[in-house]
Amino acid sequence: MNLSKKEFSILIEIIYSIVFALIFLPYFYENQEKNLILMDGLIEKIIQIIISTLIYFSIAYSILEVIYKKKETRDERDDMINSKSYKLGYLIYEFSLFIFIGYVCSKFQNKELLNLTGNQQLYNNFQLTDGGIVFFVLVLLAFISIIKSLYQFYLHRTV
Amino acid sequence: MVLKNNLKEIRQKNGFTQEELGTDVGVSRQTIISIERYRYKPTLELAMKLAQKLNIKIEKLFYFE
Repeated sequence: MNLSKKEFSILIEIIYSIVFALIFLPYFYENQEKNLILMDGLIEKIIQIIISTLIYFSIAYSILEVIYKKKETRDERDDMINSKSYKLGYLIYEFSLFIFIGYVCSKFQNKELLNLTGNQQLYNNFQLTDGGIVFFVLVLLAFISIIKSLYQFYLHRTV
Repeated sequence: MVLKNNLKEIRQKNGFTQEELGTDVGVSRQTIISIERYRYKPTLELAMKLAQKLNIKIEKLFYFE
């Protein structure tokens, strides 16, 4: 498969989103019941994410520049592809906002239902935590980013 | 009605490669390929630049079928 520089650059973004989801999301998944202040090693994790992101993109784009020395022109076709893929990303983002609102509402509703059962322990455990919100938002961001980039890649290959 | 073009034939007749024509009108080689394969419809500005570069009337270059 013969890939252009732009297509490689999109692949770099897709790989980053997938690797980020596989490496860092499990940490937030494990800590979703906690509040941010109680999460073990949160600062270290954030520093780790920032440093690994910088290293990944520096290396990836350096390799890309070495492989494709020639500068590629950015033209109206790229603008059209970008606008189409960002539009899709925006639509998924809007849709995911509804999912997020539904998630928050269901948490509160279930908590109230547990309150009615009188089970205090379950009631106390069933909370909408900072960790839960952060995890949910990160999952949505990773999902939107992957779909948007895949669509962008598809358009570059087919349009 | 589908918008088609004679870009490939006229480009070859004028002795341009896709890369050269793209550079002259300020677009990438991929964009020229896409136009020639009828996958991408250029803007009026690009269509006019192409016609001007290939020294042909725009309606001879692009046509409906």
